[in-house]
Amino acid sequence: MNLIRNALRADSLGLLLVVLIGGAALSLARPEFLTAYNIDVILVGFSLTVIYALGQGVIIAIGHMNLALGATGCLVAVAFGGSMQVWGLPVWAAMLFGLLIGTFCGFLNGWLTHKSGLTSFIITLATLSIFKGISLGITQAQPFYGVADSVKAFGSDRWGPLPETLLVALPIVIGVALFLGKMIPGRQMLAFGGNPNAAELSGISRARMVILAHTLSGLLAAIAGMMSVARLQLASPAIGDEWLIASFAAPVIGGAVLSGGHLSVVGTCLGVLIVSLINQALVMLAVDPFYVQVMLGALILGAVGLNRLRESRLGNAPVLRLS
Amino acid sequence: MKQSLQRIVFAAAALAVSAMPSLAADVKVALVPGGPHPYFANWEQGGKDAVKDFGIKAADYRVPAKWELGLQNQMIENLTAQGYNAFLIFPGDPVATNSPMADLQAANIPSIATAGCTKDPSPALFCFGTDTGHSAYLGAKELIKTMGGKGTIVHFTGNLVDPNTQLRMDAVAQAVAESNGGIKLLQTIADIDRTPQEADEKINALLAARGKDIDGIITSAWLPAVSSATALRRIGDKRIKMVGIDHDQVVLKAIKDGFVHGTMLQNPYGQAYIGSYVMSEIIGHGCKVNDKAPFKSNALTARFIDSGTGFQGSDGVDDFQNTMKAVTAELMKTFKATYLICP
Repeated sequence: MNLIRNALRADSLGLLLVVLIGGAALSLARPEFLTAYNIDVILVGFSLTVIYALGQGVIIAIGHMNLALGATGCLVAVAFGGSMQVWGLPVWAAMLFGLLIGTFCGFLNGWLTHKSGLTSFIITLATLSIFKGISLGITQAQPFYGVADSVKAFGSDRWGPLPETLLVALPIVIGVALFLGKMIPGRQMLAFGGNPNAAELSGISRARMVILAHTLSGLLAAIAGMMSVARLQLASPAIGDEWLIASFAAPVIGGAVLSGGHLSVVGTCLGVLIVSLINQALVMLAVDPFYVQVMLGALILGAVGLNRLRESRLGNAPVLRLS
Repeated sequence: MKQSLQRIVFAAAALAVSAMPSLAADVKVALVPGGPHPYFANWEQGGKDAVKDFGIKAADYRVPAKWELGLQNQMIENLTAQGYNAFLIFPGDPVATNSPMADLQAANIPSIATAGCTKDPSPALFCFGTDTGHSAYLGAKELIKTMGGKGTIVHFTGNLVDPNTQLRMDAVAQAVAESNGGIKLLQTIADIDRTPQEADEKINALLAARGKDIDGIITSAWLPAVSSATALRRIGDKRIKMVGIDHDQVVLKAIKDGFVHGTMLQNPYGQAYIGSYVMSEIIGHGCKVNDKAPFKSNALTARFIDSGTGFQGSDGVDDFQNTMKAVTAELMKTFKATYLICP
């Protein structure tokens, strides 16, 4: 009985129901929804989106925002593709280069936020412009096409029934969940996000938490940027431009608290799936293109509303949870 | 406060620019797209060639960092402060872009709406771009022809705020209507020309769901063309016929490899080259636009000049740039006599 009650109280249950009911309704309306190709399309989209959603999630967990998430992914994508095309770097070296750039961008965001005393909103608004400007300066708004065949294959190939991109995304999802749930720095980040002053009084370094969260966010943006290159088969300076809204929507749908202190990794994954399902439904049901945005917004609101309604009925509104 | 200061700097710079003597060597053209997009990349070469061929001081390609009207307007003000005295502008908004153009006009700085039109009444000298509706119509007709006049097609197109998008949708619908029931338009997906990921996701979702029902794809915007070509290559489908648009390497390679039937070329190179030439004639040689010239009309303006379009199939696909230059050379032959009045 307790097990069922706990399950009902879980952040993610309402979302899981939304995903299951939505998926079932869509497969009834359009049986093609359950074809292997379509599931592959959903999983590939999920693999990419969940990584940058978690990149925003770890920042939300400390009560900050990273507006430069997409610009970081864009800069890394451009550097990754450009270093292969222009410098002829092998894939492993280009990847390392990309990871270093993304990590440095994240570190810079965190360091500047801490040192300046300004909010991360302002700092990342500025670095968004800087990173994007560098990407445009390097590419002159033209994509790099010289992406290695192995990278392109990674974006298209399957490992058994699963897209290879999912094999990168899943360990990252598990890693972030373990980091936030079981490891001391992750728990400290959540504690800091829930109440920075109390966390500092108990010996948690503000600088360390801010820089750690932003660096992790930069690293995740870098991985997502390089995965975008693999998927799109080119390194476009437009990569990352549409990440911002989804990066906030998925964690928030998943129950994250924007003021910090709580992030559900499972909820974020389900949030990504819900947005993906809604997008699929709008395409499959041939919604008039002029009303797609209206429907998208209304359905996201509906999904969040259902989950919040369930939480309020159970007296389980999201609060700081450390255990 | 900052905006007021910018206005003052703009006014002072504009005054200085308008007081300058008018020689071709003094002409500084700014080519300002609405934001970063690969379509406009050929503007740069068109500008460079214009500098070389017409002896103007500069024809520089300057890209706003984002597709935001405010950023574009600010860039126009800044470029005026830097001494640019002629503007080729892709309108960030067909109505709102008339405002910075009016500021330029008040300072005797001419502007041409390039690659997209502003809505009449407009301070732009004229609108110089692809007849997008006609291009989409020709592309759809070519697709229908290669499909043998029967089957089901889908249309992937650009952003809904772009006035060209509705023209393209109407044109494809017209070509379908003229097929006498042989062709069915299954679905139009719009608003997918902002980012490659968005286009990739929606196009793949449709192909996954309805691929077996689809016999042809017409795309009338850059990113949907790239994503469709990539998707068809990924699933290895040569049954579905596709006619794309523009000259992205991905599309051209897919044409060579048989995944795409062909593409509708536009002429951004010619837009920049001829637009800069017009500025050199107007500022440097005292020419004026002939109000009685045979302008075309579209939904936005009665002063439209077609910069040219044409179908590029697998034959000669490697020489597409020469095709664009040939179209430009053809336009140049009669442009001055047709559209300008010179002393």
